[in-house]
Amino acid sequence: MMNEPPPPTAVPQYADFDFELDNNAQRLPLVLCLDNSRSMEGRPIQALNEALREWTRELHDDVSLSYSVEVAVITFGDQSVTAYRGAEPLYPGMNLSPFVPAHAFTAPTLAANGVTLMTEAVELAMQIVAARKTELRKLGLQYYRPQICLVTDGLPTDGTGHYTTTWQRIVPVLAEEQRSRRFRLYAIGVGGITERGQAVLRAFAPTYNAQLQGFPFRELLQMMSASAAAEQKGEGEEAFEKIFHQFRTQRPAWEA
Amino acid sequence: MGRGGASARAGGEWRTHGVSVEGYRHRRTGVPCQDAWHSAQFRTGSGDRIVVLAVADGAGSRPRSQEGAQLAVRLATEHFGREAAQLRVPAGEAVHGLLHSAFQSVCREFLVAVEQTGAPAQDFATTLTVVVITPDWLGHLSVGDGLVIVRAGTDEDGIPLFHLLPQAAAASEYSNETVFLTSRDAGRWVRTDCVDDPGIDAVVLSTDGLTQAALTRFQTPNASFLAAVLGPLETSAKDPDTEEADLAELLRSDRLSAVNADDKTLLRAVRV
Repeated sequence: MMNEPPPPTAVPQYADFDFELDNNAQRLPLVLCLDNSRSMEGRPIQALNEALREWTRELHDDVSLSYSVEVAVITFGDQSVTAYRGAEPLYPGMNLSPFVPAHAFTAPTLAANGVTLMTEAVELAMQIVAARKTELRKLGLQYYRPQICLVTDGLPTDGTGHYTTTWQRIVPVLAEEQRSRRFRLYAIGVGGITERGQAVLRAFAPTYNAQLQGFPFRELLQMMSASAAAEQKGEGEEAFEKIFHQFRTQRPAWEA
Repeated sequence: MGRGGASARAGGEWRTHGVSVEGYRHRRTGVPCQDAWHSAQFRTGSGDRIVVLAVADGAGSRPRSQEGAQLAVRLATEHFGREAAQLRVPAGEAVHGLLHSAFQSVCREFLVAVEQTGAPAQDFATTLTVVVITPDWLGHLSVGDGLVIVRAGTDEDGIPLFHLLPQAAAASEYSNETVFLTSRDAGRWVRTDCVDDPGIDAVVLSTDGLTQAALTRFQTPNASFLAAVLGPLETSAKDPDTEEADLAELLRSDRLSAVNADDKTLLRAVRV
């Protein structure tokens, strides 16, 4: 899936020069950190899977995002935190980066089950972003500020499914990481998330948090693409806030 | 860098050509190109030719950066050209002084002009990269992330060699963040160079939208791309309008958009 032909150059006299197209694009690491615990069972997880597939098609259609965005998926549910490399889950000991260029990305089909190891998932998201930046620097590749999108309908639990306050340990870490602009964190509460659950998301992502009715995953993923496009345009923070406000108020006018 | 005949540069004439196109992201949202370029030629009192080349990249986050970029390149060719034509200095420290002096003149006039609009100067934020070619030296000044590549000398097989001039220090780890002419401490980030190499026979300036095409991942010039874009300028066989359309089409192509969605400017000069 990594060997698709590059886009063509239409001008014959310029058709012959070579440059490492697939290896040279500016990169925008994007982590989808998704809750697939038991409470997401049924229609919610179906909606998420459908939205992921549709978003993938849209990403492929965008010449620029398809080569610059690198997608990694992390799920928390089913007794564990799992990183996916495209559609394939990565297991401990597999020394592979979960990031896949968007043009080669295939969405995993997720099932809902188990507990909500949200804290561990966010920690893993921070780790893979830091590791990817290190790799990109070593490769001499330029990159934009990464995006992490946390989506949940519940409260963080431990491995037995009981609410835990361990999430508080990462609040100061996240605050420092965001203050240092190491990534933009979006924390989105969906479905029947409680006020207590939403308070966790507000603590994690003071700027970009939202509580949404239902499971508007399609709009959520479109918002991530719009924010990625804003990065490419070199927009200031106010543009990201505007895109997020439009998303929160469910007005899909991303590029207005 | 290789060396050729000094007389060749002193006696040579330069053909220049530039083009700016809106990037993929701007094209999809109907936003005009915020890059600009300008070139001008001057004569010294003794009749020597001075060539000034300038490119600018208006900040995507600022509403009037397109005007800022256009103003910056016009002021740059005027001030750098005038100073270099009026004051013949030898290669070395004096060139850095001349470049800084011209830059300060550009900044002063830039700020006066934008102040008259009543809008904040930051609304006109733009990078600026300038090259001055004189019979004695090539001067380079840059604020922001523009690129300058010169061609000089050949390898053992006679293949021309390209050289990337040192770039200003990066302002951030992220590729879409840089320093602008209007940045509060822009002076601290200004990069100047003086190249004393009579063998230089081609110069390419670009905004950062072409970084991935013009450079390899190892930050070395991509000779294949550079030779391709300089080639048409070195023969007078092709109609300039057609050639400009071809180059613009290349810069808008999916191939280049895929690696960088930003506006793109290429300003090329060859000695003929």
